[in-house]
Amino acid sequence: MARVDLQNVTKDWGTAVAVDDISLDLKDGEFVAVLGPSGCGKSTTLFMLAGIYAPSSGDIRFDGARVNDVEARDRNVGIVFQSYALYPNMTVLQNILFPLRFKKVPRTDAEREAREIARLVQIENLLDRRPGQLSGGQQQRVALARALVKKPNLLLLDEPLSNLDATLRLSMRAEIRRIQRELGVTTILVTHDQIEATTMADRIICMNAGRVEQIGTPTDLYRAPETTFVAAFIGSPPINLIDARLAGDTLEIGDKRLRATGAGADHGGPVKLGLRPEHIREAEAGSATAGLAATITASEPMGRETLYTADTPIGSLHFLEATSMPRLAPGAKLSLTFDGDDSLVFDAATTRLMHGVCAHV
Amino acid sequence: MPSSASARQASNALIFLGPAIILLFALLVVPIVVDLVVAFTDMAQTVTIGEFTTRQFNKLVRPSDDAWFGFELRGSFYRALSLTAIYVFCTLTIFNITFGLILALTTTALSDRLGAFFRAVWLLPRMSPSVVYGLLWIWVVDPTERGLLNQVLINVFGLEPINMMLDHPMVLIVMANGFIGASIGMLILTSAIRSIPKHLFHAARADGAGPMAITWHIVLPALRWPLSYITVFQTLSLLVSFEYIFLIMGASRSTMTMAMLAYTKTLAPDIGSGQYAYGAAITLILIVIGMATAMFMWRMSNMKALLAKPKIEVQ
Amino acid sequence: MTAIDWNRLATRARRGRRVRSGLLLAFLTLVSLPVILPFFWVVVISVSARTGGVEAAVLWKACAVLVPCVLAYAGVHTFIASVRARIIAGLLLGGLCLIGLYVLIGADLHLNNYRFLVNPNLIEDIRGAATIGGQFPWVWEAFGNSLLVAITSMTLKVIVATLAGYYLSRFAFRGRSFFLQSLLLLEVFHPWMLTIPIFLVIFWVGLLNTLSGPILVLTVIDLPFYIFIMKGFFDAVPWDIEMSAMTDGATRRQAFRHVVLPQVRGGIIAISVLGFIKGWEEYVFVTALRTGNSYWVMSTYLYYVAEDVMGVDYGLVAAVSVFYMLPSLLLYLFLQKYLTQLTLGGVKG
Ligand SMILES: Nc1ncnc2c1ncn2[C@@H]1O[C@H](COP(=O)(O)OP(=O)(O)OP(=O)(O)O)[C@@H](O)[C@H]1O
Ligand SMILES: [Mg+2]
Repeated sequence: MARVDLQNVTKDWGTAVAVDDISLDLKDGEFVAVLGPSGCGKSTTLFMLAGIYAPSSGDIRFDGARVNDVEARDRNVGIVFQSYALYPNMTVLQNILFPLRFKKVPRTDAEREAREIARLVQIENLLDRRPGQLSGGQQQRVALARALVKKPNLLLLDEPLSNLDATLRLSMRAEIRRIQRELGVTTILVTHDQIEATTMADRIICMNAGRVEQIGTPTDLYRAPETTFVAAFIGSPPINLIDARLAGDTLEIGDKRLRATGAGADHGGPVKLGLRPEHIREAEAGSATAGLAATITASEPMGRETLYTADTPIGSLHFLEATSMPRLAPGAKLSLTFDGDDSLVFDAATTRLMHGVCAHV
Repeated sequence: MPSSASARQASNALIFLGPAIILLFALLVVPIVVDLVVAFTDMAQTVTIGEFTTRQFNKLVRPSDDAWFGFELRGSFYRALSLTAIYVFCTLTIFNITFGLILALTTTALSDRLGAFFRAVWLLPRMSPSVVYGLLWIWVVDPTERGLLNQVLINVFGLEPINMMLDHPMVLIVMANGFIGASIGMLILTSAIRSIPKHLFHAARADGAGPMAITWHIVLPALRWPLSYITVFQTLSLLVSFEYIFLIMGASRSTMTMAMLAYTKTLAPDIGSGQYAYGAAITLILIVIGMATAMFMWRMSNMKALLAKPKIEVQ
Repeated sequence: MTAIDWNRLATRARRGRRVRSGLLLAFLTLVSLPVILPFFWVVVISVSARTGGVEAAVLWKACAVLVPCVLAYAGVHTFIASVRARIIAGLLLGGLCLIGLYVLIGADLHLNNYRFLVNPNLIEDIRGAATIGGQFPWVWEAFGNSLLVAITSMTLKVIVATLAGYYLSRFAFRGRSFFLQSLLLLEVFHPWMLTIPIFLVIFWVGLLNTLSGPILVLTVIDLPFYIFIMKGFFDAVPWDIEMSAMTDGATRRQAFRHVVLPQVRGGIIAISVLGFIKGWEEYVFVTALRTGNSYWVMSTYLYYVAEDVMGVDYGLVAAVSVFYMLPSLLLYLFLQKYLTQLTLGGVKG
């Protein structure tokens, strides 16, 4: 119900810059996820959107109008705090009713809506308890109900599912997504769970040290990460990043030389080669191109897949194989290969992706 | 080696706890017992005990067939009792609690630095020596037009000068003690407000609550225990305090509370007449009130947390 | 759903914030004036009083300069956000204020009332002979005694409270809960309540008319509170620190001295400040535990100076008052940040 713009927003605590000149543009009704390491300014950004912190500089706009000065209570923003922030002296029902008290909803309607929302998040049998008597996951759902009950224009979720068990988390994900669609509310979800971000969000914002590294669809971030940070942060197990030198159409890694395409002949300098573990595989016997001669040093069963570590001429590589039992023992020798299209080359100086440049075995 | 361990335990207890026990015993426990004894004697100026008697209590109450319990209060004691009640009640409710709460709420609503500034101003009276504080009040309420209050009344408001000491002595001592009491309430409540988790304020603001609603729904519920703490301890403290009353009003009849009565009859400089047994009898009444309060406090304080066992068992 | 007028909300919020902080400031200034004015008044008397009552005029002239300056600065503070502009405005107003004060009241100021600091026989000067208070000593004798009382009682109190607080926080021993409960009970018996029996005890042990009497009593005043404060500070020190020191071979007492004590430095400073101020201001017990003028401390000195010359020489009494309160107030202002660490139970009337 609201278009949200951030323009060059900075939050400076005096001692540290928590959010450093970020600009975002969220469409009405969009669902975006924010990913980033601890302390990178995710919560601070949400707090500025909610009106709890005032930005040090830059503009926040709702539907094009500058709202920097608008009080939190006038913004109609629903927020689930990382720490739940339930009112300890009120029962669960009173907690959920609290936002409606200020919207002048008649008491009976308010109570009906509160019970309805409580049923959605499966806490209807806890309504008379106090927050102190609830588990972490139950508190989280109360916080969610409290944020949703006021039918906000903007929904901010700061790790709202972190304390739930796997099944409950799955159902809550679906429930949040359904309610979000139904209300058409613009939503920002902070999470540390990449699966959660990729399955729920239309777009993902990847933050690092107070800055936005990349904004894009989950596929964008996976296929074409703009920086080495995004490449390393998105994807599990993490990408292999190998120091290399680009010289026209060859890529020098130690003594080994790989063929490079897409770079101009005059391009040269230090780069980083990114290879995702799931894109490396054993070369088929008798294939035209020679693979990388590899020796397995470790194997790690990961459920449906196995993660191997291997020594190769271009350094130690992780790669995945879709077998639940380790097939290769440490010491086993084999030849590895990957498709040139799957490889990523980053400028080592700027850490940015060199679009179109590929490496081939 | 159990014997050496227990020896170490004993010597530890002696070193760490010994001094506190000796001091507290000698100067709190022993005096309470002494008071209990002396209250039933005829001890006076010479500090000797001639006989054991309940004469001191006869000065406070006299047998009467009409009254409850068969006793009725004598005039001077009745007066002291009611002055004490008025003094304690007014100071506590108006200043220590209400004004302390207002100061805590307003100073925490300002920026940290401004709030700290105003709190520092309010703590000035408490941090300055009591004799100076008493003198300040004497200068303020000086009945001539030199008195600060009268200067303000005459020059700023164009009113007639007033004589607080003569006309409104109770108002005077309530205010003098109240300014200090308010600052104590302010300190305790400020630290209680500070310890409310920040995210509760954030959540309330996002939920649409204004400053009034936040005060009512978030702050006040968190102050319930500190407020009862202030009530109990400040009641006791006011009950036994006579320092400022004496320094400002002297031995005036108009502000002769129970603690003042005991003090002026015994040890007050230049006027105390050494009626120790009489003073001890009044003190005994205060001790009984103190005991009752302590019992009440026990029920309300969190004994379990206090008594939680330490973890290292090694001595 | 109707579109929200964000601009109107923003304007309303800006105005609301300004009005609210303006009201708060105005309210607090108004209620704080009665607190600060008497202190200002006594300082003014002490530096301007002569015979003839000039000090009232000085007070109001000084206020006429100060009040507009303070109001102007408050205005600057509310309406200007830039820190630089605030500092410049502050300096400018401060300068204006000093010039104004100099022009209006500069000629009336003098330090004559402070001559008691250098004159050992002040009272004899004024009255020919001392009266009620008997022989007044030189003020520095009282000052030294007060310092002795305050520092000794503070040191004793801090040591006793720290030792007991640590033991209660960390040791399991038989009778621990009994001891804690008794301590809680003793909290309610303020020595003021027990002035008379304490006097008798001190008299019987023969410490009447010595400074040891007030020092001992001052050590006990609020001692249970101080023990609880220190226990609270020790409770907050993680066990791991101590355990690891002990696994490294330290004995319990060494661990306490070298590892735990430094952790509670803030608490020790806080109770030291409170303890010193309490000892410095003590009046009730220093008068109750002496007969005649066996010793002088600042509080009795001021009390009798006021008694003696109040009607005659306001200036002298005010000057002694200012001299007397200066150490407490300076200590308080400089170490205030430690006092704010004390939480519930850490403060008492
Ligand atoms: N009130 C504050 N005062 C000073 N610095 C702060 C404050 N709040 C946050 N910071 C700092 O700002 C930075 C960003 O904090 P923020 O809470 O936004 O991180 P986050 O991305 O939410 O991390 P997490 O995933 O751990 O929740 C941190 O370095 C933090 O130390
Ligand atoms: Mg966070």
